[in-house]
Amino acid sequence: MGGFIRRGAFVLIAAVMPVVASAQEARVTGRVTSEAAVPIVGASVRIGAMGLGAITGNDGRYSFFVPAARVSGQSVVITARLLGYTEQSATITLRAGTITQDFTLTTAPTRLSQVVVTGEGTSTTREHLTTTVNSVDTAQLQRAAQPQNVVSALAAKAPNVVIRTQSGEPGASASIKIRGNASLTGTNQPLFVVDGQPVDNSTISTNGGDQSTVTQNRVADINPNDIESIDILKGAAASAIYGARAANGVVLITTKRGHPGQTRFTFTSTETFDRVNTKDILQHSYGQGRNGVDGSCNTPDCVALRWSWGPLISGPSYNHLEEIFDTGLTADNNLSVSGGNERTTFYVSGGLTAQNGMIKGPNNKYNRATARLKGTHELTSRLTIGGNFNYIDTRGNYVQKGSNVSGLLLGALRTPPSYNNQDYLNDVGLQKPYRFPDATSPTSFTQVGYYDNPFFVLNSPGNRSELGRSIANVNVDWQALDWLRVQYTLGGDYYNDSRLEALPLTSAGDPYGNVTRFDINNLEIDHNLIASAKHGFRNDNINTTLTLGQNLNSRRYRQLFTFGEQLIAPTPLSLNNTTSYQDNEFKSLRHIEGYFGQLEADFYNQVDVNVGVREDGFSTFGSSKQFHTFPKASIAWIFTNTLGNTDQTGILSFGKVRAAYGETGKEPPVYGAITALSSQSLAGNYGYGDAINTRFGPGGLVTGATLGNNALRPERSREAEYGLDLGLFDQRADFSFTYYDKRTSDVILAALPVNASQTGAFQTVQNGAKLTNQGVEISFNARPYTSDLVSWDLGFQYGRNRGNVTDLLGAQFIPYNNEGFTGAIGSSTLGYAPGVIRGKDFARCGYTTTIQEVVDACVGKPTGALYIDASGTPILDPVDRVIGDPNPKYTMSFSTGLHFGQHISLSGLLDVRKGGDVWNGTRGILDYFGTSVETLDRTQQGIFGKNVLVDKYPVVVGPGAGQVAFATPNDWQNWYLGNGGGFGPVGAQFIEDGSFAKLRELSLTYNLTGRIPAAMGGFSSIDLRLAGRNLKTWTKYKGLDPEANLGGAEFLTQGLDYFNNPQVRSFVISLGFNR
Amino acid sequence: MKTSTKILCAAVALGALAGCNDYLTGGDLTNDPNRPVVASLGNLLVGIETNIWGLVGGDPARTTGILAQQFTGAGSQYQANIETYQLTEDNTNGAYASVYGGGGLVDVKKLEEGAVAAKDTVFLGVAQVYEGMLMGTAADLFGDVVYSEALQGTPNPKLDDQLAVYDSVQKVLSAAIDNLGKTQLPGLADADIEYGGDQECYTELAHTLKARFYMHTAEVRPDAYANALAEAKQGISSDACDFEGRFNSSSGQQNFYYQFEVTAGRSGYVIPNQGFINLLESRNDPRRAEYFNAKGNDLSAIRKAPDFQQPYVTYDENTLIWAEAAYRTGDQVTALAKLNEERANHGLAPEAVTGQALLLEILTEEYISDFQLGYEAFSLYNRTCFPNLVPTGSKGGPIPARLYYDASERQTDTSIPEPGVAPNTLRNRDNPPNAVSDGTGQACVGQ
Repeated sequence: MGGFIRRGAFVLIAAVMPVVASAQEARVTGRVTSEAAVPIVGASVRIGAMGLGAITGNDGRYSFFVPAARVSGQSVVITARLLGYTEQSATITLRAGTITQDFTLTTAPTRLSQVVVTGEGTSTTREHLTTTVNSVDTAQLQRAAQPQNVVSALAAKAPNVVIRTQSGEPGASASIKIRGNASLTGTNQPLFVVDGQPVDNSTISTNGGDQSTVTQNRVADINPNDIESIDILKGAAASAIYGARAANGVVLITTKRGHPGQTRFTFTSTETFDRVNTKDILQHSYGQGRNGVDGSCNTPDCVALRWSWGPLISGPSYNHLEEIFDTGLTADNNLSVSGGNERTTFYVSGGLTAQNGMIKGPNNKYNRATARLKGTHELTSRLTIGGNFNYIDTRGNYVQKGSNVSGLLLGALRTPPSYNNQDYLNDVGLQKPYRFPDATSPTSFTQVGYYDNPFFVLNSPGNRSELGRSIANVNVDWQALDWLRVQYTLGGDYYNDSRLEALPLTSAGDPYGNVTRFDINNLEIDHNLIASAKHGFRNDNINTTLTLGQNLNSRRYRQLFTFGEQLIAPTPLSLNNTTSYQDNEFKSLRHIEGYFGQLEADFYNQVDVNVGVREDGFSTFGSSKQFHTFPKASIAWIFTNTLGNTDQTGILSFGKVRAAYGETGKEPPVYGAITALSSQSLAGNYGYGDAINTRFGPGGLVTGATLGNNALRPERSREAEYGLDLGLFDQRADFSFTYYDKRTSDVILAALPVNASQTGAFQTVQNGAKLTNQGVEISFNARPYTSDLVSWDLGFQYGRNRGNVTDLLGAQFIPYNNEGFTGAIGSSTLGYAPGVIRGKDFARCGYTTTIQEVVDACVGKPTGALYIDASGTPILDPVDRVIGDPNPKYTMSFSTGLHFGQHISLSGLLDVRKGGDVWNGTRGILDYFGTSVETLDRTQQGIFGKNVLVDKYPVVVGPGAGQVAFATPNDWQNWYLGNGGGFGPVGAQFIEDGSFAKLRELSLTYNLTGRIPAAMGGFSSIDLRLAGRNLKTWTKYKGLDPEANLGGAEFLTQGLDYFNNPQVRSFVISLGFNR
Repeated sequence: MKTSTKILCAAVALGALAGCNDYLTGGDLTNDPNRPVVASLGNLLVGIETNIWGLVGGDPARTTGILAQQFTGAGSQYQANIETYQLTEDNTNGAYASVYGGGGLVDVKKLEEGAVAAKDTVFLGVAQVYEGMLMGTAADLFGDVVYSEALQGTPNPKLDDQLAVYDSVQKVLSAAIDNLGKTQLPGLADADIEYGGDQECYTELAHTLKARFYMHTAEVRPDAYANALAEAKQGISSDACDFEGRFNSSSGQQNFYYQFEVTAGRSGYVIPNQGFINLLESRNDPRRAEYFNAKGNDLSAIRKAPDFQQPYVTYDENTLIWAEAAYRTGDQVTALAKLNEERANHGLAPEAVTGQALLLEILTEEYISDFQLGYEAFSLYNRTCFPNLVPTGSKGGPIPARLYYDASERQTDTSIPEPGVAPNTLRNRDNPPNAVSDGTGQACVGQ
């Protein structure tokens, strides 16, 4: 121990007095320039074998020291590299004193030299990758359509990485799906790893994703300005090293770090102006009423009719959509300071994002403040310690949304155009909903049914969240021997999210008012130890790296949900101010014990091989077998190197074929092994709000809804991937093609229906379902023209995924009862991709088998023809089936950039989604109420097959085919009040094609360098950026936006539109100062 | 060992995990810290009681109330699906399964086994009363239901004939009455939130339920009225033994209509039926004010209060069964006496009618007093076509006579037919049939 202390003391002295040793050390310095002799800033110059190096400054110069102990006159290879340039290496002889080595880098449009983080402490260059990894850099993130949320910012950035942002509201969650759904439970979001440490990305709404308010996905806490790069591991071979957490892929985030040399300051200020993308989905001609008769009223406590089936409006008419929105403003300010010396680096940043949303009123905002300190210090030339501390504070105010009688759009869009919503308070200060326009007292609201006035909703202060989060780690990097490196990270991710969701007195959702408090507390501790050994064989023509690691992880989650009813006084919105409340507490603890190893080998710079295995133990695995093995193997052959084209020139300047196989898993739900009792009575829990607990008298217990299963195993995905990567025309273009085939077995059905009359339970949790995902990914990038003055680049990518549920343990489908509505419910169904919408349709040929007259009328008629009965209208087919598939057929994007000299860049991104059905529930309901633009047709004759629902049902058969179904406005009204409207049972008529093309980004950047910024305060450069986002959408979808996503990242089922808030179109101005 | 200690232990050991070998098991890793796994007999009883209130008082009661035209489906799904008879499996999702699941038959069986093991015969009797009530109600609502093969673990348990279910229910209720006559042990009285362990009330309840379920078979079994009469004579003898939902104002323990209209904000979806209001007003019936508000657009403040003690089986019902059964078996004197006994209970003057007028008076009183009484008004209509309701469906009639089984139960039991194959316009597949004429011999327009 004494020796250890002495050595420690020596290290300390060495650290604080580096000058003492400098007499015999070597200083390596030089300048890195481009072919045009322009200094290259930010290039990395390193002696790889020694793990030493530096980054070039604004003048292109670099400089670093090699400690005297490691200087022995030996020859070493020093390499300069920067993304976008071909790397250059030189051999230098290390001796005491100054060694100068300059580099001239040539531009390389492809990114073969780009360093790609491949997880668990490993990285490689793109050239030597054996699997598909998509990388996104900081510049691309900042240009993104919704850059405040790092997941939204990934939209259209990589093939088969499908992003859907819940809405344009501040704090809205975004869902990310990589190569489809690998599971039938949960939401199939990938694992997020920041600087080697897994972080939580859950999305948990307070009162259900279909209603409540928008809810953030938690990775959005990370400040995108702190991110250097994101690497997305898509296939199982790439992500198998993360074992049973990797079935949906892994997103590796690397944050910025300091570099030795001059201290750098960067300040960016971005102002974003958001407008909703509205379209006129409402009629403005017919007023409140029914049967053409006025149904409004304005006497005290009178109740007006809910419909707009009244007379033509004679007075003013109001646009109930436009009037609730104004321009939102997001101010995003970030300051970072980074730098360091030969032994110590640091990066410090502070960010403040203040979003004021596009909904009018003071309650639509989301603020995020972040601070980060990241530092490293070399204790000795072989031992570096580091720390990375990130604190996040977010605060949001939200507006009730979705399927919710107190939701913003629900009340707004149902309001007759004749009614003035803006004048929302009456003489006694009570809200004026259109059905109850003159209430005399708060208690009179309890006697009637109505929807909240949207201005009452948007002025309600009851929905808030306050989150504090720290993500921190300490790490050690020990170059134990020249060939052996040990890395250790101990990280913690802790947050406390404290929410309030309250309905004030007179709210339609609860006229007595209520208060929900919801506190979430999450802690994840991760221990990760990695040892990697490098060895070269045959004169370093065969280079191998062996990595072994251990991972211990603990996740503790607690939530306390308290629902208080009946406000005593109007304010405060606090539990103390309610007459009674009930709690619901949930907590869980999960541990992981994992071991992994992998061997990477590069043969003659021609063939790369990567084999590995992860042995994962999870506390959630059934006790009979608590460890499971996830192997992987991949190989890539750079055939152009074999053919002798190692300098990457010519028409086929680079070529690689690759094949990979890997297995990943997903853990079972926590406590799935246990059959427990419940204190919530299960009868009465259907329908609307009939819920009764058993906490009467001495307290009751009932058999739980779910049968436990002690034999749960992880779900297992086996994925084979084949690819081809080409560099063309002297590397001016690159092309990549990947085909994958992913077969997932042991899929867990967390709510597999069991027969209650047989078992006494409603569902069980069981392994055994199967599904497949197969797809193709193509990307193409080119720089067709490059000169000193102008360069032009363009990119294209395409991703297609076909999901297919092949086995549901005997069931035909599994409904997701929380995802959707009666008539359009999310499900996984045999023979379809996960997350298809089920519901009922009208009786149609080829589908309807249980109604004899339909079957008879359909003989010889085309499949899909709509049966029309004698009255001229279609009839309900009571058997439900798949009515829509929200999974896109393919997605693709086009990007282009024009760069004028070094100063001006113009770039654009077009995002295309083909297919992907959307259930336009909003339209169905507005048809019922008579406020939709479709109901303007009420004075025309309606004939099925001719002018009613012809998009959906072009061909009609049956006794009433061709007959006039609706001759008068009342006929239309009665149709929409029944089977033709959204409250009727026929959901299929509201399924629409959600294909779209969106102009996501268009930006102009001006980069000012030289004397002007220097004179302005010593800045090295000033960046000015003007951008537009979501500028234009092309779609056939009739609702507000086909990117509709009612439940955000909380639902597996996408494509549900029920009074969703729209997306936004933004204009951005950004100023950046660099010094 | 604490989590952090374990991590530290692992970190220090740097891979040598000798001291941390139970990292994956124990404590909250293995045991659910949120949910209990053992229940006392008392816990089970409270669970069963709250569940049965949910079954007879929850959403299906609103649905059948609309079908029996005591309510009107005026908004949203209640207007577009129920009022128009566009019923599907979705409209009952969960109700059928809850007959068997937690708080339903599975827990009744657990309670019965527990009571037998504890040699607590009276507790067993109470459990049997609930078994009878549960399964008889299931037959009322769904027709043929799984019973004889229920909870045996047999895959695809068969549907028993509706009449066979009623027969089994009679047997279990008879057994209950026998057991309820024994000596009570400590425990029941403290646990029971319905009657506080009152054996008399349970015995009377069992007799009234027997009478009720006999009546439901009367159109195919001529002796049913005599059996019902015999049971009604021993049935609930005063309001004190009415079987009610013991709701209170605490969150999650309120009357379902309060929860529906206020907590869930669905006021205006289900409103009073104007025809029913007219009936009450034409008779100057004090229950007009007791049931509905003055405007006639909502329940009365009493009925909508969170702590309203919602009646499900009552002295009134028993008295009127007695009256009707007496009339049907030829005893008009008793019939009139019992009718007037029920009327007196509501401050109404005695009637002095005979013959068919007496029958119509009895049926009218039944229809009125059956309001919000589980599914009794719906059952009354199916049995008697009284009142002779005009259908409100989008295609006219017929009025649905039962609800569909849950889709999840159908999916997991091949015995249950698809909704299209088994229409809901008949009470079951075979028997009893719907009434084809009303009490006056007029054709039944809703059938």
